[in-house]
Amino acid sequence: MTNNVFVLNGPNLNLLGLRETDIYGTDTLADLSSRCRASGEKHGLSVDFRQSNHEGELVEWIHEARDVAQGIVINAAGYTHTSVAIHDALRAYDGYKIELHISNPRLRESFRHVSYVASAVDSIVAGLGTDGYELVLETLAQILPETAVP
Amino acid sequence: MQPRILIITGTGLDDLGDCDWNGHKGLTSELIREACQQLCDDLRVDMDFRQADDQEKMIRWIAKDSEKFDGLIISPAGYSRASTEAPGVCQSALQDVAKLELPVIEVHVNNIYRNSDRTAQPLREPEGEMGFICGFGMHSYLMAIKAIVKRISSNS
Repeated sequence: MTNNVFVLNGPNLNLLGLRETDIYGTDTLADLSSRCRASGEKHGLSVDFRQSNHEGELVEWIHEARDVAQGIVINAAGYTHTSVAIHDALRAYDGYKIELHISNPRLRESFRHVSYVASAVDSIVAGLGTDGYELVLETLAQILPETAVP
Repeated sequence: MQPRILIITGTGLDDLGDCDWNGHKGLTSELIREACQQLCDDLRVDMDFRQADDQEKMIRWIAKDSEKFDGLIISPAGYSRASTEAPGVCQSALQDVAKLELPVIEVHVNNIYRNSDRTAQPLREPEGEMGFICGFGMHSYLMAIKAIVKRISSNS
């Protein structure tokens, strides 16, 4: 049975590659999506890659993951620092949860130092650029069979 | 010549023997060292894995030895749990490292932001980039090695 993973991206990530490329790099969201799907295929994961600028939609996708996905990788972007709703949705999800950021928010403006997501997840990766996505998927592929309920 | 990675870990890893992470109860520094060595051998990089008995040693290694390497992985481990002074002291050492433009990644075996592990403080490095990986047990280290190797090869 293939493990399913949701890779959820939050607000403004649709502008990836088009804004602040010194911080976020030159890959577009479409490039990143392709890379994630390819990485999933390589490592035996089915990757569902999504992006939304709407907090409620992200919350509902986390709910959706409860029924169909063994893992969630979430780059909540700006909502990381504001959203109790996303925090609560993640707490209600039993699969493996990873908070992911392209930059390292703790090294940036002070308003990015708080994460409402961090205490609701199993693991955190930040500051590895867009390479972080593939690294996380490769590692998830190793971890999930260890934790999957048969 | 092969790339070289310096891995510095604080004591207190044995505190995490009861860390509730699947398959990683009883995780020790030695187990981590072995896994890191294996991965470095596979990736053809040299590894210098050091466990610091005290803060002074850790800071000295960061400040004086980092420039001899192509990448640095730091796991404050017990220090970030036991002492809130350690991050500040490490920070000034890390500022010097930032000037070398060396890839640096901070790793923790556990998720230090989980409520039960609240006492742990992350390091802060105001200048330069620093990656951060936590909560993957032993994999936190292995991911850091892979990330640094990727960075080194894309820089060259």
